[in-house]
Amino acid sequence: MRGSYHLIVQSAHLKYELDLKRNITVIQGDSATGKTTLADMIREYILNGSDTGITISCKVKCRLIEGNTWKEQLESIVESIVFIDEGNKFVASKEFADAIKNSDNYYVIITRESLNTLPYSVNEIYGIHSSGKYNSLEPVYHSLYRIYGDDECKVSDIKNIIVEDSNSGYQFFKHLSGERINCLSANGKGFF
Amino acid sequence: MLNIYYGDMEDVIYNTSVYFKFNYEKEWMSSPEVIQMIKDVDNSEVLGNGAIDSPVMGIIAPTNLSGGVKTLILIDKVRDKIFNASNCGDNCAGWLLKLAEKDDIVINLRHLMNFGDDEFKIKILNDDVIVSNMNELIRIAGRYV
Repeated sequence: MRGSYHLIVQSAHLKYELDLKRNITVIQGDSATGKTTLADMIREYILNGSDTGITISCKVKCRLIEGNTWKEQLESIVESIVFIDEGNKFVASKEFADAIKNSDNYYVIITRESLNTLPYSVNEIYGIHSSGKYNSLEPVYHSLYRIYGDDECKVSDIKNIIVEDSNSGYQFFKHLSGERINCLSANGKGFF
Repeated sequence: MLNIYYGDMEDVIYNTSVYFKFNYEKEWMSSPEVIQMIKDVDNSEVLGNGAIDSPVMGIIAPTNLSGGVKTLILIDKVRDKIFNASNCGDNCAGWLLKLAEKDDIVINLRHLMNFGDDEFKIKILNDDVIVSNMNELIRIAGRYV
């Protein structure tokens, strides 16, 4: 799969609208913003279809994987948007990173943990905004907002760059920094 | 005091929502502290019969509370287990500090929760060090998460 995917998940009282731009999107943020409710709606729709009254509008299928049998569940999923709710320990595992690398799905992962094994962009970490109230005529509307990466940073403002890596990553940034920016290697996480 | 072990930890209850689903006690919902947690974090009211009135979902069961508030309730009510508090957002941090005022509490965190700008007392179990603000906390906890 490539490019952006627009997704609307809606029930009588709730509406979620998401634009997924890369193969890995992370949703985090405060408690009680509706992250798990979104995953619940996807799960119910997969299990019971239109009987749920939920509609999902997207040009590809949505799926949800969870629990200890995640690998078997993932094996049969292709060209889909795969949701993973909080509480699934496997998202931080190397085994999961390998499985993602070899698949053509997009993934929406709900977690606050650092996923060190996965190559995802800081720009694709979102929280959920909601507006409206239960029992109003319109469903409560949920959309994503970017948690990091909206602040513009001018290259001319950068004085120091600290790179965790001491090998190729450091060499890349050292070369890129030139004479004006001081580039240091942290020699691993311990520096911080 | 609040005691935190950062990073992967053995014998921790990782999926707190599943634990809550099969182990919560109805009486917990009548505790004044739990009622206030639900009001503060989920912006919801506990009704007389233990059901909850949510501004987003309507009338819901305790199992449909947010993952964060369910984890807070477990940390408060189940003291012989250690829970993964990374199921709590930053809007639960104040309650974690509040619960730890009356008792020693041990939690596991797998991310850098923001405990705010005020001074606090948190013991980081990985290094057996007490920190008193976010600047001190990040320098140690950042090595483990």
